[in-house]
Amino acid sequence: MSRKEEIFERLRQAVILGETEECAKAAQDAIDAGIAPMKVIKEGLSKAMEVVGDKFENKEYFLPEMLLSAEAMYAGLELLLPLLKTERAERKEKIVLGVVEGDIHDIGKNIVKAMLTAAGYEVVDLGVDVPASEFIEKASEEEIGVIAMSTMMTPTLVSIKDVEEKLAKKGLKGKVKTIIGGGTVTEQWRSKLGSDAYGKDAVEAVDKVKTLVEEIKEAVKLMERKRKKRGSQAGECR
Amino acid sequence: MNPHERLMAFLEGRKEDADRLPVWCSTRTFTLDGMKIFDAYWPKAHKDPETMARLAAGVYELTGNENMSVPFDMTLEAEALGAPCEYFEGKIKWISVKRFIATDIYEMDIPEDPSEFAKRGRIPVCIEAIRILKKKYGGKVPVTGIVTCPLTSVGGYLIDPAEFHKYMIKEPERIHRIYETLNPYYAAVANAFKEAGADVIVFTEEGASLDNISPKHFDQFVKPHLTELIGMVKPPRVLHICGSLISRGLEVITSMIDCGAEAITIEERTPMSEARKIADEHRAGYVIGGNVDPYNVIHNSSIDAIRSRVKKVVADGVDMVSPGCDYWIETSTEHIREFVNAAIEYGTPPRWKKEED
Repeated sequence: MSRKEEIFERLRQAVILGETEECAKAAQDAIDAGIAPMKVIKEGLSKAMEVVGDKFENKEYFLPEMLLSAEAMYAGLELLLPLLKTERAERKEKIVLGVVEGDIHDIGKNIVKAMLTAAGYEVVDLGVDVPASEFIEKASEEEIGVIAMSTMMTPTLVSIKDVEEKLAKKGLKGKVKTIIGGGTVTEQWRSKLGSDAYGKDAVEAVDKVKTLVEEIKEAVKLMERKRKKRGSQAGECR
Repeated sequence: MNPHERLMAFLEGRKEDADRLPVWCSTRTFTLDGMKIFDAYWPKAHKDPETMARLAAGVYELTGNENMSVPFDMTLEAEALGAPCEYFEGKIKWISVKRFIATDIYEMDIPEDPSEFAKRGRIPVCIEAIRILKKKYGGKVPVTGIVTCPLTSVGGYLIDPAEFHKYMIKEPERIHRIYETLNPYYAAVANAFKEAGADVIVFTEEGASLDNISPKHFDQFVKPHLTELIGMVKPPRVLHICGSLISRGLEVITSMIDCGAEAITIEERTPMSEARKIADEHRAGYVIGGNVDPYNVIHNSSIDAIRSRVKKVVADGVDMVSPGCDYWIETSTEHIREFVNAAIEYGTPPRWKKEED
């Protein structure tokens, strides 16, 4: 095993086993060895979180195990992310993430945040008990914005509806896409509430976000093409 | 047989005496229709015993659902331990906690004497509401007192669950300490409900399903401490857990049964036929309640779909027909009435009487 590969393996094991200190140490060793931070995240942290996600799907891991893995991953990310700033600024898409108004349970949200970050997305974490207007304001500032909303309980599902209605009112549907998840959220709820996607767990959430980002990109392209076409037609008239 | 006699037959180990299956809600009973018709809106119904009693009985009065239960939320015990709650005055919203105040038992506001605990927060409101219900419906319709157990109550409303769950691996003694310290207090609530006239106590431990924790952690933390808690309260007792209890070759049904309650109730994410099979292999004939999806089926499906779902749950071996959790608040009176009627129709006679014929 090369020195690089050895460090990656240490990182992966630390995340999978939920060993926070060891993960931070291995990340520091990677930095000291001069390995590109993006590569460390991809080969070490992301791959490990994929394994953790699989274990969660297969009921080998549950919330406690998953939370410790996420904690370990963050200990590594904390050291690596500052070194990545310039590289990341080029990404246009931002995921605006939060727990909806009336709920302060952020356990699922934090796991989704870990998985999205590990997958290379920039996440704007609005925290808990987030009013609808804040989600919309933050997401509409971005060129490509996805709103990811979480709630653990059925009662606060109505807060998701609030966001969807406000998006529709402002004519932002399609430009801003939404994904929902959490304890009692289901596909049936998604269709009732009018959200664009539902992730049954953090693993599925990342896949769905990827799709939503592609859809927004397509929609933006289409709008630009239409605008250009309209522009040229107007020119012809003159 | 009246609804009280029928449910008691199931919970007292003599279900063969029953003329049919009971149809009740093993968790909380309230609907928006009930709030309107009986002028029993939230948040007043959380804080005023008369209003609470009217709302709790409303589902029975409107639909024939065969029980009435209080409280309507899961924060009752946590609030009495110091969790700051938001009631949303002027709105119909579930009570929620504003922030997590503790990381360990030492940061909770615990009285010295467990019997003092039942005088705190809204617990006396529930006790008085039970008295009112017992006076009016006693011996006719069963009155249910709901206790939200420590794992869910503490790990959902007092300690941030993101930290609480990590303790299970990093600091198991902290979880044991929490349960051991609080069990007498939660039992005091259950016993106060009983003394006031509750016919059955339903212990809910929503946080303990396979969606959250492993069977190993269930057996390490939940089973021993719930066994102790349930043991501190006189029968009949029911244990309810939401979420998946059977998944990918794993199950916690047997461990739930071992906790010592007279029955368990489950929700729609746990298939009734599989739960029945596991229960019968472990303890033949053990009483199971559940598990018609209150939102997707009772609220959101056609009458035909409600009826066929009830028929299936009965065929799959349920003993006490119930929604998987509280009726969804917006569910129409008509839909709940159809659900109740279907359960009466398909639950008469019970399958063991059919087998005799």
